[in-house]
Amino acid sequence: MQTTLTPEATSKTRILTNLESIGLSLPVLGCIALLALAPLFIQDEYILRLLVVSLLFGALAIAFDFTGGFINAVNFGYAGFVGLGAYISTLLVTKTGFNPWMGLLAALLVTGLVGFFTGLLTLPLRGIYVSLMSWFVGLTLMALANAMVKLTNGARGLIVPPLYESVSITAHLYIMLAITVALYVIMRLIIRSRVGLAFRAIGQNFDAARASGVNPTRYKLMNFTLSCAVAGMLGAYYGHFVGIITPDLMDTGRTMEVMALAYIGGSGSLLGGVFAAFLFIPLFDSLKKLMEYRLIIYGLSLVAIMIFYPAGLAGLYQYVTEKYKTWKGRIPK
Amino acid sequence: MDLNTLQNLLLTGILRGGLYALMAVGLALVFGVMNICHFAHGEYYVIGAYAAYFAHVTFGLNPIVAIVIAAILSFIAGAVTEKIFFFPLRRFNKGEWIMNAFLLTAGLSVALQNTFKLVWGVRYRGITQYWDATIEIFPGMAIAADRLVALGIAIAAILALWFFLQKTSTGRAIRAVSQDERGAMLVGIKLDRIYTLTFALGSMFAGLGGASLLSLTPAYPYAGVRPLISSWFVVTIVGLGSVSGAIVGGFLVGVFESLSYYFLGQGWQDVASLGMLIVLLLFKPSGLFGTKVKGVLEK
Amino acid sequence: MLDVTNLQAGYDCLQALWGVSLSVSQGEFVALIGSNGAGKTTTLRAISGLIKPLAGQVTFMGRQIAGISADQIHRLGMSFITEDLNLFEGMTIRDNLLLGAYSQKDKKKIKASLDYVFDLFPLFETRQKQLAGTLSGGERRMLALGRGLMSEPHLLMVDEPSLGLAPQTVKDVFDALQALHRKGITILLVEQNVNTTLHISSKAYVMEKGEIVLQGASAELLENAYLKETYLGAR
Repeated sequence: MQTTLTPEATSKTRILTNLESIGLSLPVLGCIALLALAPLFIQDEYILRLLVVSLLFGALAIAFDFTGGFINAVNFGYAGFVGLGAYISTLLVTKTGFNPWMGLLAALLVTGLVGFFTGLLTLPLRGIYVSLMSWFVGLTLMALANAMVKLTNGARGLIVPPLYESVSITAHLYIMLAITVALYVIMRLIIRSRVGLAFRAIGQNFDAARASGVNPTRYKLMNFTLSCAVAGMLGAYYGHFVGIITPDLMDTGRTMEVMALAYIGGSGSLLGGVFAAFLFIPLFDSLKKLMEYRLIIYGLSLVAIMIFYPAGLAGLYQYVTEKYKTWKGRIPK
Repeated sequence: MDLNTLQNLLLTGILRGGLYALMAVGLALVFGVMNICHFAHGEYYVIGAYAAYFAHVTFGLNPIVAIVIAAILSFIAGAVTEKIFFFPLRRFNKGEWIMNAFLLTAGLSVALQNTFKLVWGVRYRGITQYWDATIEIFPGMAIAADRLVALGIAIAAILALWFFLQKTSTGRAIRAVSQDERGAMLVGIKLDRIYTLTFALGSMFAGLGGASLLSLTPAYPYAGVRPLISSWFVVTIVGLGSVSGAIVGGFLVGVFESLSYYFLGQGWQDVASLGMLIVLLLFKPSGLFGTKVKGVLEK
Repeated sequence: MLDVTNLQAGYDCLQALWGVSLSVSQGEFVALIGSNGAGKTTTLRAISGLIKPLAGQVTFMGRQIAGISADQIHRLGMSFITEDLNLFEGMTIRDNLLLGAYSQKDKKKIKASLDYVFDLFPLFETRQKQLAGTLSGGERRMLALGRGLMSEPHLLMVDEPSLGLAPQTVKDVFDALQALHRKGITILLVEQNVNTTLHISSKAYVMEKGEIVLQGASAELLENAYLKETYLGAR
């Protein structure tokens, strides 16, 4: 494969290699380009909205997988944090007239804080207790949203100011795309750093990690807090995008949707959930009848993945590319 | 608060507690024997409720008969679930069992809830009461016969389970499997059979709950959510895997909720319960009745 | 009664047995000896069904049992007393013993077995309600033995019963095994304690690195030069 390249080609490959090292391999770049160019070809607002929603869920899946796939802590109250972010941002903006972008920041910080304390309480415990406790925290948050009707308007829903004056779907698409890509790159960088190494060691073998001098709880806490903070921010964005929020947003079923996407995409792949989102969300939407079955299919797919193919879509992708590479003779069999 | 009100509250609490104990015991059993954190437990409550509704209302059967049928059907549903989903998971599973099984039940829960919705729609299938009667416990305090019977069923079921586990050969085998699986194999116990039986029993208990409380909670697709949350609440408080703790805890939580509902109202009652749980776990992470589960604390 | 031919077995990626062959006849007291890591426990595990053999044949009571489940093999008449004992720690002595007879349906036979075990280990009769987890090391070994006997097995396989026990207790355990043998029970014993084992067994196999390197009548093996040097510290 050794061929001499022209200077331009060399720098081109170097750029590509650099991009690849931060996770933006050629296929990924292709997908990003596709999405970025979509508004040029698609005028239908409805479809564009669908793309934004898919990206949103994909981003949620990335943040979810950051904990679930690496430190072995399944945040079963995830939707609660998402909803918390939504309410924080909405209330801040409506009560104080702050810029919605500040609302997003506030959501990030507050939810991160709540996530921090939740993590502090639960992360020293075994994985299943983290899930249980975060579930209860999520339920508490939902109960609070329902109870504090004067503040949140309860089940009738709270109107959320839009993110900015001219509500253009295309702009939302680009913003969401940027957020998702940034999220993926950042989280991937963290995973691959020394900090990430610690995450994975803890996820694999808690005691061994401890024995090697890694302070497990500190790293788990960092990871968990970040995941919750991002969830809150995305929730806030969701609020400003959709325009109305209800406590139902924090229902366990919503957590399960994100969870299903993350696991079907492949636990520990970060990006897998995004592909799963783009697979399922438009699919369910286009085949209206399937909407009825939507959650059944999510549920059963999760079950099937758990039993037969825990590696998920990402695993499948890896399998296919490896087979392709051996076929092409690039790597030996 | 006068004595009458207190009595009333305690009574309501105990009535509630009976159901919680029943559900929590099912959960504890499934976790203790199979190491599964069962998240679809509520759906078997719903199966029981639907079964009792159709048996009683559609087929006009006697309430007791309807409840028995519901119990049998939820037992079967549990057995079938175990064979279809957990048997393959045991064969194929490579990763962390507890997490994978938990996630499987989560997926199952979603699938079941929406299957109910698909098949029977969102309509509430309820009854006003099984028996048109009230019973006076104390002078001036009458309870609906339905609730008393439900409590009676819960207590009877728990006692029957205790007897079964302590005195029968199969019950002993179930306990053995929860203690040491390899030892159980070495004395000739067929593990798969015990697993199916255990899961079926757990499901039957949930179904009994749903069936006997039909007049309080009608059958509809999401009827299992509250019982699920409550039973997990109890089990987390007393510590995973403690069956006897689940019984005590069930009644304690029932009374606590009854009291907090009175003082705080519906909305804040939930917050109070969950707040209490958080405080408790701060001090005793393995639950009130301690570590029956090895390695609960990752130091 | 038991015929093992060319047994190969291992764990995940690590093969531990490389073609083990041995046989145990009715009424024999056979020993499988060797140092740590020789593969003795793996052999018993593969025979008892706890792990599936990779290759080879195991015939027990005329049946091919290689690959069938442990509980099935137990029901055919084989009791395996593991090194960890696998007792039901949270259950009483009585319950542990009763579980030993799980596959027995006849209440009278169960009672008879229980009496037999109490006769052998009188201490259990008086302390029936005591939890198994609270017993001492030696007592737990005895309980595991008793539990294994409850099913009236044709073959009793015991894995390193003397490990971690005080010398006097070790003697008690070996005495018990001898007594059982005299009553006609067939025993396959795995041990690191070579000297005593060769004195109480009739036939022995010596294992090293997953293979049988020496076999024969125990009395003869005691005189074997290689054995004496490697395992008995003779010069």
